[in-house]
Parts: sequence; C-alpha cells; structure tokens
Amino acid sequence: MSTAVAERDVALVDLVDRLLGGGVVIAGDITLAVADVDLVYVQLRALISSVATAQDEGYLPRMGGAL
Amino acid sequence: MRDKLLHAPPDLDPFMGELPRLDDALSRRVNADPESLERGLAQLVLTIVELLRQLMERQALRRIDSGGLSDEQEERLGRTFMELDRRMAELREEFGLTKEDLNLDLGPLGRLL
Amino acid sequence: MIELYAITDNPGPPLPDLAALELVPVDGLAAVCAPAGEADVSADALWHHEEVVEALMADRDLLPVRYGTRLEDEHAVTRAVEERRDELAAALDRVRGAIEVSVRVLPSGDAGRAAVPDAAGGAEYLRQRADEQASQAGTVRAVSEPLAALARASTTSNPRPPELLRAAYLIERDAVEPFTAEVARLQRAHAELSILCTGPWPPYSFTER
Repeated sequence: MSTAVAERDVALVDLVDRLLGGGVVIAGDITLAVADVDLVYVQLRALISSVATAQDEGYLPRMGGAL
Repeated sequence: MRDKLLHAPPDLDPFMGELPRLDDALSRRVNADPESLERGLAQLVLTIVELLRQLMERQALRRIDSGGLSDEQEERLGRTFMELDRRMAELREEFGLTKEDLNLDLGPLGRLL
Repeated sequence: MIELYAITDNPGPPLPDLAALELVPVDGLAAVCAPAGEADVSADALWHHEEVVEALMADRDLLPVRYGTRLEDEHAVTRAVEERRDELAAALDRVRGAIEVSVRVLPSGDAGRAAVPDAAGGAEYLRQRADEQASQAGTVRAVSEPLAALARASTTSNPRPPELLRAAYLIERDAVEPFTAEVARLQRAHAELSILCTGPWPPYSFTER
C-alpha cells in the first residue's frame, strides 16, 4: 500500500468520527441511517463518554450497593 | 483536498486497526459466509461487553478510592473483574479477535444489513 | 429532498462550484444545501462531502452539519434552522476564526499490559489496574494538557485500550503550525507513545454545547 493511500485511510477514521458522530444535528424528516450499525458505533462511544462524565459530575449515581 | 496528516509517527499501522472493517461497513460489501457473519456478531457483542466491563472496572476503582469497601469486598470485586478479564481474553481468542478488533468497531455486522 | 452541508452567518462569499449548492437564509444565518443525491455512505462519498464543506470553510466560518441530514424542502430547512437559531448563532461565535484538529495517541511498540491477567488475587489485580490507569492518565495529561493550552477549546472521548487518547482541539486558523510543532515536540519527548494528528477539519466536535 502506497504511503499516500495509507495516509488517506488513516484519516478516514477521523473523518467518519466527525461526519457521522459530530456536526450540527438538525431535526430532519429523514436522517440518513448509515447502516444503523455505523451510527451505533459512534453513538456508543458518545454514550459511554457521557455516562462517565455525568457520574464524575454527580448527575448519575455510581455503582449500586450490591457491593 | 490537501493531505490531512499534520503529524504522523513513522509507523501508521497501529492507527489503521479500525480500517478494513470500517471501509467494508461503509461500502456495505456483502459477505454471506457464515463463519465471518458469526465472527462479526461475536465482535459486536464482545465490543459491547468490553465497553461495559471497562466502565464497571473504572467505577469499582473509583469506589475503592473513595473508601467504603471492606477488604473482603475489594478482594471479591477484584477476583470478579480478573475473571471477567480472563474470560474476555479467552473469548477473543476463541473468535480470533485482538484487542484492537474490539476498539468500538462493529465491522462485518455492517454487511449483514 | 435537500441535503444540508453547513450553517453559516456569512452568506456573502460566492459558493464553491463543487455541488449544486444554494443558500437558504434564516434570520441572519444561512443553511448551505444541495439537492440530495442517492443515499451513499462510501468513503468516497464522505470525502466528497468533506471537500465541499472545506471549500466553504476556506471563505467563511461555518458549523458543519452531520452527514446525511436531509430535509424535504427549503421550507423544512428554514423551520429546522429557525428552531435552533440562537444556539446556532452562539455556536458560530464560539468557532469564529477557528478550525479543528484531531489527536490520537497509542502506546508504541509492545508497551501495554499482559493479555491475560496474572495477579495473585483480586486485590492485587485491582491494584495493578489502578496503577496502570494512573500511569496512563498521567501520560495522557502530559500530552493533552500542553495541547489544550494552545487551543481555544478541547474535547476528548473516553480512551479505550489500546488507544490512550482521542481528542479534538479548536484552534485559531493561523495556529495550525505552532500546534503541529508542539505535537512533534511531545512525540519526541515520549518515545513510549505514538501520536497522530490530523486536520484541519471543520469544527465538527464543537457545534453542540
């Protein structure tokens, strides 16, 4: 694989993160569901991230008393 | 469009881990071979399990940090996580998956849809 | 169907000739759109979309819209933008004169913990994990703090093994070189890390509060 192709491929990860997981979210009649699965991939990351943050900031309870 | 790399290490390979599956998912290439479908499903499930495992482990460490767990509870908790970690490694091996494969990439599952 | 590319408050400059772009003005803002083509999520389609947004960004500040956002017609676009008009205007103020860069950090070489845990017991396992996390957290701070200091704003995703850091930085348009130089310096200072920096990107990670 040539270097130029490799470079563009590596940047693809960052591109997908942004185009599918970032940007302004406008309530549209139809939002392109990118094979559902791909959106799940970026949303999952966002979800885990926000859960951890919410716990850090005290909005969400931490692990229960089962311990 | 200009090249997007502002700074790259000499070896780009580690950053390419997500790529083959990402590219496939984007292109919606269909691979109906049952083995790869099963592997894709396993990858999806294990990715989610791994995420939860890490989240819970971090929570446990925070809990221990803030005190409030007895030695016995800590020991039990640690054993559970150690066992879970071990089991995840076994499952990964069973399905021929590396840690990189579970880095939030849903891979071949995209091809099912 | 209409596909949205970006929101701007500077409709003045001529639109690039890359797609059948048009402006839908909404109360001081403008949505940049084009007739929606066939739903396509290939890498090529994403890169092409990105090319359009970057061409727009060359002449004006903007908020990139999530890929694949489609609305029925100009009226629907107007309604949707109007609904969030003030937030969008505020977001444009936040990103004015700035672009985004991405930074990802992996451990280099074989650094990283044993594939299978080998602790003697539960408590020792947790201690090992705690040490590991602390060391990783330290490393991550050593990289992310100097970079955040050069940026107007920054945001990070929760790092997941083997990745140690995945961050986005909002930096002044003309500050890309000094930022890159700092990344290079941090790379030289940390042989145990592998740092990748890409950009400039439109401010995808800074459009929402």
